[in-house]
Amino acid sequence: MPPAYCRRPDPSRGARAALFAGLLTVLPGLAVAGDGYLDGIHHHTTLASTVPDNGDQNPYAIAIAPVSAGKIQKDDVLVDNFNDKNNLQGLGTTIVDYNPTSKNLSLFAALPRHLEACPGGVGLTTAMTMLQSGFVIVGSLPSNDGTTATKGQGCLIVLDAQGKLAGVITSPHINGPWGNMAVIDNGTTAILFVSNTGFGVGAPADETPVIKQASVLRLELSIPPGKPPAVIRETVIASGFGEQADKGVFIIGPTGLALGAGGVLYVSDAIDNRIVAINDAATRSDSAGTGREVSKDGLLKRPLALALAPNGHLLVTNALNGQVVEIDPQSGKQLYAQWIDTDKAQTPPGNGDLFGIAMTPHGEGFYYVEDDMNTLVLAR
Amino acid sequence: MSEPPGSCPFASRRSLLAGTAALAAAITARRAARAESAPSAEIASAPLVVPFRGPYQSGIITPAQSHTYFAVFDVTAKTRDELVELLRVWTDAAERLTLGKTAAVLDQDLAAPGADSGEALGLGASRLTLTFGFGPGIFAKDGVDRFGLAGQRPAALVDLPRFNGDQLIAAKSGGDLSLQACADDPQIAFHAVRQLARLAYGAAQIRWVQAGFLPRTPPGETPRNLMGFKDGTNNPPIDDAAAMANTIWIGEEGPAWVRGGSYVVVRRIRIALEHWDRKEVDFQEQTMGRHKYSGAPLGGTHEFDPLDLDAKDGDGNPIIAENAHVRLGSAAMNDGARILRRGYAYDDGVNFTAERWPPWRQGIEYDAGLLFIAYQRDPRTGFIRLFENMSKLDALNQFATHTGSAIFVCPPGIQTGEYVGQSLLGT
Repeated sequence: MPPAYCRRPDPSRGARAALFAGLLTVLPGLAVAGDGYLDGIHHHTTLASTVPDNGDQNPYAIAIAPVSAGKIQKDDVLVDNFNDKNNLQGLGTTIVDYNPTSKNLSLFAALPRHLEACPGGVGLTTAMTMLQSGFVIVGSLPSNDGTTATKGQGCLIVLDAQGKLAGVITSPHINGPWGNMAVIDNGTTAILFVSNTGFGVGAPADETPVIKQASVLRLELSIPPGKPPAVIRETVIASGFGEQADKGVFIIGPTGLALGAGGVLYVSDAIDNRIVAINDAATRSDSAGTGREVSKDGLLKRPLALALAPNGHLLVTNALNGQVVEIDPQSGKQLYAQWIDTDKAQTPPGNGDLFGIAMTPHGEGFYYVEDDMNTLVLAR
Repeated sequence: MSEPPGSCPFASRRSLLAGTAALAAAITARRAARAESAPSAEIASAPLVVPFRGPYQSGIITPAQSHTYFAVFDVTAKTRDELVELLRVWTDAAERLTLGKTAAVLDQDLAAPGADSGEALGLGASRLTLTFGFGPGIFAKDGVDRFGLAGQRPAALVDLPRFNGDQLIAAKSGGDLSLQACADDPQIAFHAVRQLARLAYGAAQIRWVQAGFLPRTPPGETPRNLMGFKDGTNNPPIDDAAAMANTIWIGEEGPAWVRGGSYVVVRRIRIALEHWDRKEVDFQEQTMGRHKYSGAPLGGTHEFDPLDLDAKDGDGNPIIAENAHVRLGSAAMNDGARILRRGYAYDDGVNFTAERWPPWRQGIEYDAGLLFIAYQRDPRTGFIRLFENMSKLDALNQFATHTGSAIFVCPPGIQTGEYVGQSLLGT
């Protein structure tokens, strides 16, 4: 699909902008320039290397701190790593903390490779959030050899604000908690939404079958003062999504979750290359299956993490190129695709580089990670 | 003087003069060798000899020969005397080898193993240099001061930190003694290491080796690496004694025994050539910060044009990108840090590998790249200073993986009558 127009959006970004002209693509006939969020994004600044001293690679999740607690300052950016120093996937054990004021990046948590209560060990995924109570909850989809051949069921790991282990959440409904979390946080209670991509997944092969067992789980938490969150109810609210073991990228499955207006949870369905909606996500008592299709194909190239922009539009990172796509969830229209990672070391540029995305606290921009260079980047 | 086959393609006038003087010495040595009644083929015709003895070890600011065989040993000697004896034996043999002679006089007793394996008979010296270094394990190993040398370890001989992206293989890293053999004939370099390894039986064991090569580039031109780019343009000039004293040779800041020596950092860097070959030339140039064919910095015309790191294009973006290899490695970006790179390409065939960058290609790929060898006065302000930042931000990191690493301190030159390292062990 030819771009309607393109331009260099980013003179401040230095190397990347100089190296690879960023492109802003507008779908012909679908939108008028100026009514979208990405149209106002012009600057991309590399903030820090996300690699901690232990050498962990492949930054995945991004979570913005809602409060100051322990080692974390409000508005800090937490980033976890999925790979270890040998770049084996599913072996990363660290979370780093970037402080936007000091511009320093520090180690927040370094977990052991194996936790007795977490089946298979620790390999931190895109599922991560920080609650107002100061606890950080992060998913684990572990491996011992960097592939799903040795994957474990995994768990959700609860850390206190000092980065110390405070608990582990497992359940028959949790297997490979993978995608970025959506959260409703009321302080002493919270609701988490997390996708699971591990059910029935085996070793990768040249032609690995797609398994339709991925789900979205709702976890209702009670958080007594001074105590870690406890699960009081679990509900599978969506199920039957495709998931697939992959030699190169470990696993492909539903990755992005974002809560929109009217209690709708949006899910990026990577295998079917679409965004779907789950109605009444916080209250429904049954599974909506794979939900209602919002947008499919077009600018989407295996959608990953999701974020909700202040204008109510969805921002979606693509796995198969370096673009973030803006979608109006009401109409399902794809408005823009901005080439935020234009690294031509991959073909097409940015292929495989993007993963996590999170809005800045005031919504004037968004953070994203680049897996090619293991960096945290700010777009605004 | 005509250049013999395989001689250094970038020999300076100074080195050729040195070679001329050495040639006379070699001829004298050849006559002496004949007087020893050794086989007449002990020295080939037209050897080019680099002096083995002098104020500095050869093989550091010697114009690079076309081949290297870099060997690292673990010392198994139990006592300081055994270590000294090893170094004495090595010194004697090394001096002979650099003169194009056999490691020892060949005996006529064919019922005994030969004193030299013989594969270099008749080949001459081909500017063979043998450069020795001491690794951290000489001073103490696993907490044990085996040779009473722990107090002599220079502060600058630090253990290299772990750098971002390191994928080090233990069997290609570390070691107690380094032996850099360089020559304009690969068999001569290999032969030299082989003889010294034989002589070390019972006192030192080979830990790892790496062969390397350089192209036969016309005199005065910078050789190209396997990525197709000129490599070494920004090196400090080896014929500038002041520059070498400032950047390469250890001075008064080091203990007396090591002054006039240098620190060498060795890194085996695998380059994803299949990945690189798929990239557009202009992208390769942006990654490097240089034009591929001319070697000029981006924005420049000629190879030795100065780097203009402040130059901007019409949109205000830097001409040489902020993550370009040449920018991040420049002295201007690193508090003036400079090192003398004396690396070689390597090619170890093919094997299965999983690239560590998106899209994580897997398969049978070249195990080839760069045997990075760099000399410096202090690695803390040299390689470590430079690479700490580069390991995180260099765009070239998407094609390069460091798989081997070692650091050594090379003692000063070997004076007449001395053995290598005598300034350390003779006290």
